[in-house]
Amino acid sequence: MDETLILLILLSFCLGAGCWLVFIWAVKKGEFEDVERPKHRMMDDD
Amino acid sequence: MSLLPEQICSHCGISFRWKAVVAGGTDGGRELFCCRGCQGAYLMICEAGLDGFYQREGRAAPTVAGSLPGSFSDADLARHLIPEGDLCRIDILVGGITCPSCVWLLERMLLRTIGVEYVSLSYSGGVASLRFDPALVTPLELFSVIARLGYVPRPYSADQSEKEARRERDDLLLRFGTALFLTMQLMAYSYALYAGYFQGIGAPMKQFLQYISLLVTTPVVFYSGWPFIVGAWRSLKTAAPGMDLLIAMGALSAWFYSVWATFTGEETYFESAATIVTFVLIGRLIELSVRRRAISGISTLYASAPQRATLVGEGGAGSEVDVEDIRPGDLLLVRQGERFPVDCLVIKGETEVDQSLATGESRPVLLVSGEEVRSGCVNVAAPVTVQALRPAGQSYLMRVAALVQMAQAGKPRLQQLADRVSGWFVPAVILLALLVGAGRVLLLGNSVGAAIMAALSVVLIACPCAMGLAVPAAVLAACSRSASLGIILRGGDVIERLATVDTVLFDKTGTITSGNPVVTRFETCCGSSASAVLQAAASAEEQASHPLARAIVLYAAEQGYRPETCRDFRSIPGRGISALLPDGVPVLCGSEAFLAEQGIAVDIDSCCDSSATAVLIAVDGILAGHFLLSDQLREGASAVVSALAAEQLDVRIISGDNQATVEQVGRHIGIAAVHGGLTPDQKLASVTGLQQQGRRVLMVGDGVNDAPALAGATVSCSLSGSSDIALENADLIITGGDLARIATAYRISRATMTIIKQNLGWAFVYNIIGIPLASAGLLTPVYAAVAMTASSLLVSLNSLRLMRFKHHG
Repeated sequence: MDETLILLILLSFCLGAGCWLVFIWAVKKGEFEDVERPKHRMMDDD
Repeated sequence: MSLLPEQICSHCGISFRWKAVVAGGTDGGRELFCCRGCQGAYLMICEAGLDGFYQREGRAAPTVAGSLPGSFSDADLARHLIPEGDLCRIDILVGGITCPSCVWLLERMLLRTIGVEYVSLSYSGGVASLRFDPALVTPLELFSVIARLGYVPRPYSADQSEKEARRERDDLLLRFGTALFLTMQLMAYSYALYAGYFQGIGAPMKQFLQYISLLVTTPVVFYSGWPFIVGAWRSLKTAAPGMDLLIAMGALSAWFYSVWATFTGEETYFESAATIVTFVLIGRLIELSVRRRAISGISTLYASAPQRATLVGEGGAGSEVDVEDIRPGDLLLVRQGERFPVDCLVIKGETEVDQSLATGESRPVLLVSGEEVRSGCVNVAAPVTVQALRPAGQSYLMRVAALVQMAQAGKPRLQQLADRVSGWFVPAVILLALLVGAGRVLLLGNSVGAAIMAALSVVLIACPCAMGLAVPAAVLAACSRSASLGIILRGGDVIERLATVDTVLFDKTGTITSGNPVVTRFETCCGSSASAVLQAAASAEEQASHPLARAIVLYAAEQGYRPETCRDFRSIPGRGISALLPDGVPVLCGSEAFLAEQGIAVDIDSCCDSSATAVLIAVDGILAGHFLLSDQLREGASAVVSALAAEQLDVRIISGDNQATVEQVGRHIGIAAVHGGLTPDQKLASVTGLQQQGRRVLMVGDGVNDAPALAGATVSCSLSGSSDIALENADLIITGGDLARIATAYRISRATMTIIKQNLGWAFVYNIIGIPLASAGLLTPVYAAVAMTASSLLVSLNSLRLMRFKHHG
């Protein structure tokens, strides 16, 4: 029982860490630089 | 000058009526352009297959297309290139971007330029980032592509402060993101521990959960919370306890206590340490995003100064020169529609000048030779020869820019309320903690270790998350509520400053009044029929571009009179117009003096009030009637004055217009204290004068001439549609043109301060209950957690009450 819990805890930790890495990558890549333009991009034809 | 009926330029969409119509696009010559530049831009866009641009919804076209100002050379631009492998990068600040379609057009056009590999244009900042092959295309060619489309390119190097701001935001975002993810993890472990506290938990499991809690909390406290630790250290060194010290103390004491508890088998407080840091970071992020602005206002002011001027030589031949090369005494030609490049003296010719940039007065002013005109003003009527008085660097626009910069630098940054509160709270908590620790050792005979733990728990309880949420939650609610009421606030400190204002200064033209004249009275005389006179006036004035003429045409149109085509139209600057009606009857429209000059008996006392302008009309040599025109008050002008007066505020007008006109407007809306005839620096001086008397001043203005006063005021307010420089300097912006919103903004700020004080009060109530319990060693982690959640919830809900704020409530 305890082993299962520990495994689940570690698993959830890894999931969270994965999300965190994606977030860091997004900030570094400048995904949050301009939040105005992207929402208008869908109006473009090509 | 022969004037044509109104036409719309196929490229830029402005209406024009001058003769230089260049027909001919791709559509068999059916397009009309206001100038060659627009025709060029149109052809370029169509050839590139991007004519879809003209069909796009809500397209706001660039201003009149032009050629690249000659002040750039490849050598200059080379300094701004950043090598990236074989390619080069350049950042270009593009002026004139008004809509997402502009961004679309620019990106497409630049991508189609040979050698350009990558283009990204930010809509909010107006900065184009390009990667290109320097062997295939030069930066100058890129600049001219942008210029030929009618936008204004300037080399852009993110200045130090802007780079710093971007770095700061990314840094904060990373710290917050990290804190959030780890805190979410931590919560799962904490709830397991809470459950274990009530239902029982095996010692090894408890140990494991505590260790892993320690693992995730440590980065939150020491990485995400590092700015607070640094801030706390700084405030300790300067002996000025603030919010940072309180947060760092709370987080660190909770962390140290919990580490000790982990190894001694006690209950831990890790979630307390982590949530304090996370909540306060949310608050910081909100503050930063509300405050964020991409470009500083000064650059827009520089942009309204012309780059080139026409120098007139001895023989009368003109040559183009850079504005920087103009020396005092040089003779310059300023054509119709151009801006005056430097401060100068009119030497030859007479014209009407739009001086709204300098005086705020939108009515063009007649200038004859020997009169002085300021740089940036627009020549609206006829070409004139002028003599430069000062070099470009010392001209009016640059002096205003310098004033704005100075006033901005001098604006004191206000201390946050929470900082002031924690100024006395922190020392009190530390003192109490020391007393508890000392009392335990001396009076109760506890061990030193237990005493330190008791002291730490006092500090820990004293710092609830509610403290961190109290201000930002209220600020966020206030900002989003005001935005939905048409009030845009720049940051939480604006609310704090606005709530303390005791004096309100209004600009007149463009702020209290709309700046556009409207016909307020029309009378006929000598037995003329009203319909004949209106018809004649509409037809004659139709071809004139003067704002008064436009108001008369509009007035006639409202009564159902359509202009007929006149012949022999003549416009005499500052006087009036003459024309022949279709049936050959001569019509004269203009000032009393103009009609008198033309030999017409003028015997009405038309100028019954000084704020109205009279336009007289004579048909067939006989005075037929007159119009009275005046500047209309904006919506809510009287309402805002009475509302602000009801709040015990001192309301005044400061204006560049003449004293009599300002007094007239003041009487109309109930303001007794009016000051007319002020220059921009005198406006700033009256603001700072009041501040030196201990007043806190809200300045409301719209024009370039208000910019220094806006920058210097305690709080500044502009209306949407104001000049860029005024908007950039405004702490709050009223959209929709309803002045009464200013009073609403003031009341919201007062209400927000009340809410913030309640929030902080609630947070302290929890402390006041919690601290004695902690001192007595009675407060277990579960009760601490419940108290913390309850107080945070209360603070959030209390802040949400602001969302119900009514405009007239």
